[in-house]
Amino acid sequence: MTMFSNCVCCTPALAAASPSIGRRKFIAGGIAALGLGSAGAPVVRAQGSNTKIDVHHHFLPPEHREALGKHKSGAPKWSVQMSLEDMDKSGIGTSVLSQVQPGTWWGDAEESRKLSRQINEYGAKLVRDHPGRFGLFATITPLDADGSLREIEYAFDTLKADGIGLLTSYDGKYLGDASFAPVYAELNRRKAVIYVHPLAPNCCANVVPGIPAGSIEYAADSTRTIAHLVFSGMSQKYPDIRWIFSHSGGTLPFLTQRFIQQQKVQKHPHLPDGPMPEFQKLYYELAQGNTKAQLSALFEMVKVSQVLYGTDYPYRDGAEVNAGIDNWKFGAADLRSIENETARRLLPNLKTA
Amino acid sequence: MIRIDAGRRRFLTGGIATFGLGATAALGQQAAPAPPAKTRIDVHHHYIPPFHADIMESKRSGGRPPKWTPQMSLDEMDKSGIATAIVSLVQPGAWFEDDVPLSRRLARECNDYGAKMMADHPGRFGLFAAVAPPDPDGSLKEIEYVFDTLKADGVGLFTSYGDKYLGDPSFEPVYAELNRRKAVVYVHPTTPNCCGRIVPGIGPSTIEFATDSTRTITHILFSGVATKYPDIRWIFSHSGGTVPFLTARLELVAQQRKMTGGAAPILRKFYYELAQGNTPGQLAALLKMVPISQVLYGTDYPFRDGAEVNGGIAAYGFTADDLRSIEREVALKLIPRLKQG
Repeated sequence: MTMFSNCVCCTPALAAASPSIGRRKFIAGGIAALGLGSAGAPVVRAQGSNTKIDVHHHFLPPEHREALGKHKSGAPKWSVQMSLEDMDKSGIGTSVLSQVQPGTWWGDAEESRKLSRQINEYGAKLVRDHPGRFGLFATITPLDADGSLREIEYAFDTLKADGIGLLTSYDGKYLGDASFAPVYAELNRRKAVIYVHPLAPNCCANVVPGIPAGSIEYAADSTRTIAHLVFSGMSQKYPDIRWIFSHSGGTLPFLTQRFIQQQKVQKHPHLPDGPMPEFQKLYYELAQGNTKAQLSALFEMVKVSQVLYGTDYPYRDGAEVNAGIDNWKFGAADLRSIENETARRLLPNLKTA
Repeated sequence: MIRIDAGRRRFLTGGIATFGLGATAALGQQAAPAPPAKTRIDVHHHYIPPFHADIMESKRSGGRPPKWTPQMSLDEMDKSGIATAIVSLVQPGAWFEDDVPLSRRLARECNDYGAKMMADHPGRFGLFAAVAPPDPDGSLKEIEYVFDTLKADGVGLFTSYGDKYLGDPSFEPVYAELNRRKAVVYVHPTTPNCCGRIVPGIGPSTIEFATDSTRTITHILFSGVATKYPDIRWIFSHSGGTVPFLTARLELVAQQRKMTGGAAPILRKFYYELAQGNTPGQLAALLKMVPISQVLYGTDYPFRDGAEVNGGIAAYGFTADDLRSIEREVALKLIPRLKQG
C-alpha cells in the first residue's frame, strides 16, 4: 500500500464532485429535540466572504515529502497554490498549518530534530510570504524532550508560531505519558495551543485486510489519546494548555457513557465529577466530523464554544466541511463562533487576512 | 443538550423500587406497585455457567466474570419488563486457539446449559449458541446440533478471533451453512489481539470493544461476506460500536472501490441492539444510519442492566409504534418462535 496507505481519497476534486455520499439526508425533529445552538435563523452565506479560520490544514515541505518517501510512507499531493485556491473557493481567510502524519519520528532523534526544524522554517516562510493567509502549529516530537524544548523556544520566540502540532501517539505512547511532562510544563508556561492529529499506531495499521488505516484507526487513536490525557491527570496538571482535537474527537462523542462508567468502576481521585468536565474543556474541530450523526453526538458532549472549523486539506476540502455545516443549520452566532471567533480567541496573535 | 445521568434513568424506570425500600416500608401499609408488564425481548444478555466462569479465571481479559445465576437474570428481567432474554456467552466465548478439543467440549457444555435454561423456564430464555468460525469442522457439527437438537435461536460470534475479523475467507464454510439456515448471528465484541490494553489505565471495554465492532462490521461489509451470504441476519452489539459515527469514512472506502450505492445499503440491512448504545447522541447517530426496523433491545446484563437501557430509550422519546418495534416486534420477526411466548 503506497499512496493510499494514509488516505482513501487524496484528490479533493473527487470529494467536491461527489457530495451525495449518503450522509447528507435532511432530518427534522430529532435535531430540534437536542436543543442545540442559539436561536436565530440559519445564516445565508455572504458571497465572497473570506473569514473562516481553518485549524486543520496540512502542508508538505519538500524535505518532509522526501523523508516520508524514504521511510515508505504515503504522501498527498500538495502545493501552497492548491491550498490558497481551495481556501479562496471555500471562504477561508486563514489556515493554521500542521504536519502530515506520521510526523518526523523514525527512532532517530537527530533526524527528527532536523526535519522538524525544516518543516517549521518552511511553514514560517509560508506565513511571511502570504500575509494573513497562514498560521503555524509547529512540529515537535515529545519523545525527544530536549529536542522538543529547544524547538518550542525557537518556534515561538523566533518563528512566531501560533501553537504546537502533535500526533495522537508516538511509538505507542499516548499523550498522557509521564515522560512528556517537561514538554507540557513549558507549553503550559506559555499557555500554548496544542493541535492534535491522529495516526494509525503500529499495533493497528493493518488489522483489517483491505481497509485503509485512516478509515477506523485514526478516530480510535484520537479517542485513546484524549482518554489518556484526562484519566492520567495530565490535562488537569497543565491546565493552561488549550488542546484542539481533530475530527470531532475521533469517536469520543459516541463513547462518553463508557468513560463515565470507567470512572465509576475505577475512581480516579482527580476526577471527582467523572471525566465529562475535562472532555468539555477541550476543543474539537469539524473536518471529517461534520455529518449530522457526528454533530448530534458532539453537541451532546460539548457546547458550541468548544468547536472549531477545519478542512483536513488536502485529504478533504473546504467544500466538504462547508456542506456538513450548512446541513446542520447553525444559527448565525454559532456559525461565527465555529468559523472564526473561537479560533481568534485561542490564537490572538494569528494574523488574519 | 439532553443528559440523563444514571441515577435519573433508574428512577424513570424503576419508580419506588429504585429506592431499594420494601414496598410496605415506603408506603406504610399500601401494596407495592405492580411490576412492569413483561413484553421486552432482550437480545444482548449474558449467561455465565459456573464451569465457564472457572475457565475464564485464567483465559479472559479482565479475569473471572461477574457472579451470575439464572435466577439473577429472571429477577432483573421481571424488574425491567423483559419477557425473554436471548442469552450468549461473555467474551472471549468458548474458543481457545491453543486447545481445540477443550474449545469444542466447552462450547457443547455451554450450549447444553443454555438449552436447559430454555427448558427450565419456558418462554423466558432463548439461546445464541456458541460456535467458533476458526474451527470450521467443529463449528459445522455444533451448528447442526444447536439448531436441530437444541432448537437454538441463532449463533453468537465475537468480533474477532485472534487476528481474524469476521470477513475472513476461512470462515466461509461456516457462513455457507448459516446462510443455508437463514440464521440469526449475534456479534459481541471481544478484547482484540492487536490492541486490547494499549492505553495505560483504560480497560479494553472502554474504547477497544466498540472499535472492534466497527472493524468487524467494516470487514463483513467490504470483504463481500455480507452480499455473498445475504440470508444471514447479523445483529451487532452496542449500536454498532462506533460505526454510526464513522459512516462518512466507510463511504470513502466504498467510493474508492466504486461500490454502487456505497456502504449505506449494506449497513441498513444489519441489525443493531441498544445496550450501551442509547445516549441521545448515539441514538440520533444510529437512526441517521438505519431505519427503526433494524433496531433491537438489549441490556448487556449482568455488566449493565435493563434500567439503564430503559432510561436511555425513555429519554429519546420514541413513538409508541417505534417503542414496540424496538422492544419486541423486530425480535419476533427475526425469531418467530418467540411469539409463542
